[in-house]
Amino acid sequence: MRRPSLVEESLDDRTRVRLVVLRVLAVSLLVTLGARLWTLQILNGDHYRHLAETNRVREVVTPATRGLIVDDQGRALVRNRTSLVISVNRSVTDRQKDSGQAVLERLSSVIGMPVADIKGRIQFCSATAKPPCWNGSPYQPVPVAKDVSAQQALAVIEHPDRFPGVSADLQAVREYPYGSLAAHELGYLSPVTQKQLDSDGASKGYHQNSLVGVSGLEDTYDADLRGADGVQRLEVDRFGRVAGTASSTAPRSGDNLVLSLDLGIQQAVEQTLQKTLDSLGGGRARTASGVVLDARTGHVIAMASLPSYDPSVFVGGVSETDYKALSDPANGIPLLSRAYQGSGAPGSTFKPVSTLTALTNLGASTTDDYDCGPTLQVGGQTFHNFEGSSAGPITLHQALVISCDVIFDRFAYEAWLADGGLRNGRGPYQEPHEYFVKMARTMGFGSRTGVDLPGETAGSVVDRAGAKAIWTDLKDSYCRRAQNGYPEVTDPAKAERFRRYAAEACVDGYLYNGGAAVQFAIGQGQYLSASPLQLAVSYAAIANGGTLYQPTLAKAVMSPDGHVVRTVEPKVAGRIPATPETLAYIRDALHGVTSEGGGTATGVFADWPNDTIPVAGKTGTAEVEGTGDTSWFASFAPANDPQFVVVVTIPDSGTGAEYAAPAVKAIYQSIYGIGHPAALPGGRPPPELPRVERDGTFSTGAAPAPAPAPAPAPAPAASPSGVSFADRPTGAVATAAVPGTSGLGIVSAVAEPALVRGVPVRGALGRGAFIGEGDGSARGPPRPPEARGPC
Amino acid sequence: MTSPTALRSSPVPLRGRIGQLRDRASGRHSPLRRLDWPLQISVITLSMVGALLVWSATRQREIESGGDPQTFLKRHLLNLVIGLALAGVATIVDYRILRAYAPFVYLGSLFGLIAVLLMGATINGAHSWIVLPAGFQLQPSEFAKVALILGVAMILGEKHDDRDTGIRLNPSHQDVVLVLALAAVPMALIMMQPDFGTVMVFVFVILGMLAVSGAPSRWVIGLILCGILFGGAILQFHLLKPYQEARLTEFVRDNQNTSSTGYNVDQAMTAIANGGLIGRGLFNGMQTQGQFVPEQQTDFVFTVAGEELGFLGAGGVLVLLGVVLWRALSIAFDSGDAFGTMIATGVVCWFGFQMFVNIGMTLGVMPVTGLPLPFLSYGGSSMFANLLAVGLLQNVRLRARSDPYAL
Repeated sequence: MRRPSLVEESLDDRTRVRLVVLRVLAVSLLVTLGARLWTLQILNGDHYRHLAETNRVREVVTPATRGLIVDDQGRALVRNRTSLVISVNRSVTDRQKDSGQAVLERLSSVIGMPVADIKGRIQFCSATAKPPCWNGSPYQPVPVAKDVSAQQALAVIEHPDRFPGVSADLQAVREYPYGSLAAHELGYLSPVTQKQLDSDGASKGYHQNSLVGVSGLEDTYDADLRGADGVQRLEVDRFGRVAGTASSTAPRSGDNLVLSLDLGIQQAVEQTLQKTLDSLGGGRARTASGVVLDARTGHVIAMASLPSYDPSVFVGGVSETDYKALSDPANGIPLLSRAYQGSGAPGSTFKPVSTLTALTNLGASTTDDYDCGPTLQVGGQTFHNFEGSSAGPITLHQALVISCDVIFDRFAYEAWLADGGLRNGRGPYQEPHEYFVKMARTMGFGSRTGVDLPGETAGSVVDRAGAKAIWTDLKDSYCRRAQNGYPEVTDPAKAERFRRYAAEACVDGYLYNGGAAVQFAIGQGQYLSASPLQLAVSYAAIANGGTLYQPTLAKAVMSPDGHVVRTVEPKVAGRIPATPETLAYIRDALHGVTSEGGGTATGVFADWPNDTIPVAGKTGTAEVEGTGDTSWFASFAPANDPQFVVVVTIPDSGTGAEYAAPAVKAIYQSIYGIGHPAALPGGRPPPELPRVERDGTFSTGAAPAPAPAPAPAPAPAASPSGVSFADRPTGAVATAAVPGTSGLGIVSAVAEPALVRGVPVRGALGRGAFIGEGDGSARGPPRPPEARGPC
Repeated sequence: MTSPTALRSSPVPLRGRIGQLRDRASGRHSPLRRLDWPLQISVITLSMVGALLVWSATRQREIESGGDPQTFLKRHLLNLVIGLALAGVATIVDYRILRAYAPFVYLGSLFGLIAVLLMGATINGAHSWIVLPAGFQLQPSEFAKVALILGVAMILGEKHDDRDTGIRLNPSHQDVVLVLALAAVPMALIMMQPDFGTVMVFVFVILGMLAVSGAPSRWVIGLILCGILFGGAILQFHLLKPYQEARLTEFVRDNQNTSSTGYNVDQAMTAIANGGLIGRGLFNGMQTQGQFVPEQQTDFVFTVAGEELGFLGAGGVLVLLGVVLWRALSIAFDSGDAFGTMIATGVVCWFGFQMFVNIGMTLGVMPVTGLPLPFLSYGGSSMFANLLAVGLLQNVRLRARSDPYAL
């Protein structure tokens, strides 16, 4: 307490009171400031510290080297190429007196690009800036010219005084050494979109200007291939001048992806399909696709679709013209893979499923004969055998061999009648069995196989309820069409046919009539469509004793130093509800298709070494409104110990025996080395992962796998893939060796390093092995089928 | 008090004289002992801290431009030394003698304000500086603050001291009108620069002095109401320049500021908040060393304290500023006459207003006005004026009738 003084007494009261008020005011204002300071610095500090951080720190991203995609033997299908890139660092050029004008002019004369173009590339993307523009960090050098010559790069590097802010360095860009090979499966990269950055930029490690896999394996395994970008966090001042480095992380290369896909077989499939299309001429059949599966594991060994494209058009950003061309139906939509993204009626290749239905659900017998008459009356419709042929009473085995329609038509018709026919849902027929539909579904039709590729089609399997649902959706348009017709269809007869169909559909389209059921059983009509991959998976199940696999292309993810990060094993998706005997019966019948008299593909496989590599298969000819038939051939081999499933589809071509079956045969020739070097020595996919050398490249051989690949089953004595392969070493020294193939009778899960390094020694036994070389070449190219059997 | 004549006429030799001076300086009634040391130490400490903050805010920029990183440190210290010398003069000359010169001081300041309008340089949009040779600049409006306080104190303090009649009079209506007229001239001149912030300092100084002088309450209340009405009117009819208006209104809106004013405040608040409890350490503030805060060595010098010295350092600055105000008010209480009370009151209002507005601006609670923070901000004129004012406070303190330290 202050001692009262004389002076205070001398001040009058008003002054004293007001001085006290002033003092209280001063103290309270300072306390207010203190409280505000506390709030700002202590209570809300974190928010502002973050602000200060973003204010102060700029990120410069060094992209990680993306992992390779290699085939089953370690051959790179997608790799990185270095490209000499000239970049302009705007944080340097903008600070020059003329904002870099002189430097850009000099650069223009070196790289031969107009100054305006360079300026366009280095402008920052905004609402007004037209592409090309830079959407990355302003502190990051902006690439203006890729793949420049060494001379051009040197001109820049050697004169830093003349080119301040311009740099020339090596950057990794995606390279596809085999061009369009497996383009649909490998996929491509696109610059990250703002949406992706916003939604999961942080969790996935995207940065501005990151490239992201947007299709195929590049998409599915993006997280593995991507690695982690190096981030240098630069401290800058208010003017953006770099003051120091706050932190720096080195880029971590992405992991490599090892596929089950085999380069040799993939090439064989693509070349075969291309040859077939070429032989058909330009008018028809512009598309074709093929799938090769490992029947025992569900791994995809080859998958191809024509027309294809070279994914390198996407490197550095696809032009709008190119992209339009790739998605133009007039060009056959090269971006679309018919193998897993397209589907169609499978035709008679579906008959094994119908046979299974008849034997498993409809009480049919393997020994009884069924009448393969020329026609079957269903309701008001008459169903013919192909070209009206008749074979009299035959077994189901023979029905598959000669592809008799009528027998399956009848089974389907009777099942449909048993389900109540058109009266389903009324009277005693409450719950239809729909055995054919159910069998199709349990064999994977109508749902995605779950292959490790994006955008797969599910195909369709439509049951009675589904048909009604579709009709409910389309009824109005049918009825409108029934009234108005099809004025846009030029052919009056066709237009009238369409109109009548629409009129019928308008009235009773909800009815699942007998005709539809009959069509379904022989793989025709509108209620069934399958992708070649789905068909291959179902044939693999028949071949391997009933296991439906969820197919995969990837086999393993390996770190750049060769360590196995994880293996990708196809999952078991289900089992066929049929006894082993039934499946064996069907396999035998399908072998008959290529080997027995009257078999629809016997002609095609007439010159085939049936005793060593029996092939089982089924032709299919799907009728398509408005175009030519779709030619199918679905197969597996060896028939007695199936290893491979091969399916080929060629829309708008002809019968299965005409086009698809010879193509499949050519693929088998490549696999087993009949007339060619064998793509897969020993007729077996390599059981082990390829090895990564010290320099990061792949060699073929066993990886030092923590999880050793399962030892391949010893080949059965009867295996045609046995001794005959290995016993014929030729002088050709291959660069790749596959130790431990069962064909050699050596079972070794982990190859000894010495053995692997001794590649030349073992290599002689590898790819150089030919089989049937003499026979094949002596007979010349496979003969065209002499007689066309029924589809 | 020792008689000065005794000192002059003393025949003792030089050595004895020095001894006498020493005795006088350290004696019980020595003016040095009677100085308000808490005030003086606070002021010097604040000025030294200000030197460090100004140094930190400018050294990076000086390094980058190839200059001497200590340029601003040295100048600030030089300003301090000159300012302390001026303060010494202002302390020694009895303020009651100064009263006689108040009209001349006042007229001198008007001359300066007119001169700046005629030959001043424009810096940051205001025509407030007279550029002198050798890189020196003079800001007459700073000195006008001192002059105004002296002039107004002369008028408001005179009546109180009418001891001949023994009647204690509060300022009359005429006095109030005279004060307002006296203030209006320099305010109008400063408004023409334009320097709205300094005008507001004048407004609050006048208001505070009138209130404390015991002027009729209706004047005080009336003036406050007028101020509110006037403020409303200039905003309503957009009488200010757009940037001035933006400064006034922007801080009220709680949104992300995109204009330059908003940017300044955002950066200032970011810098302060970045300091946390103990600060980033001198020369280590990211915002400060990155030069994100504009005008950081002058108007935004408090942000350096906030970022680099943290809550403890910035809070310490607030405490020292509080000590200055508190002591100045005590001097007002203890003054031997109303003139001294008026001078001290004017200085308190001046310092208090500038402190609150300046720091409040960096904390986002007051509009952006170009007012320096007393003692801490870099700037010769304001430093000189501030220290002159402190000298006046000490002057009043020395001549107080009682010695608060006396037992």
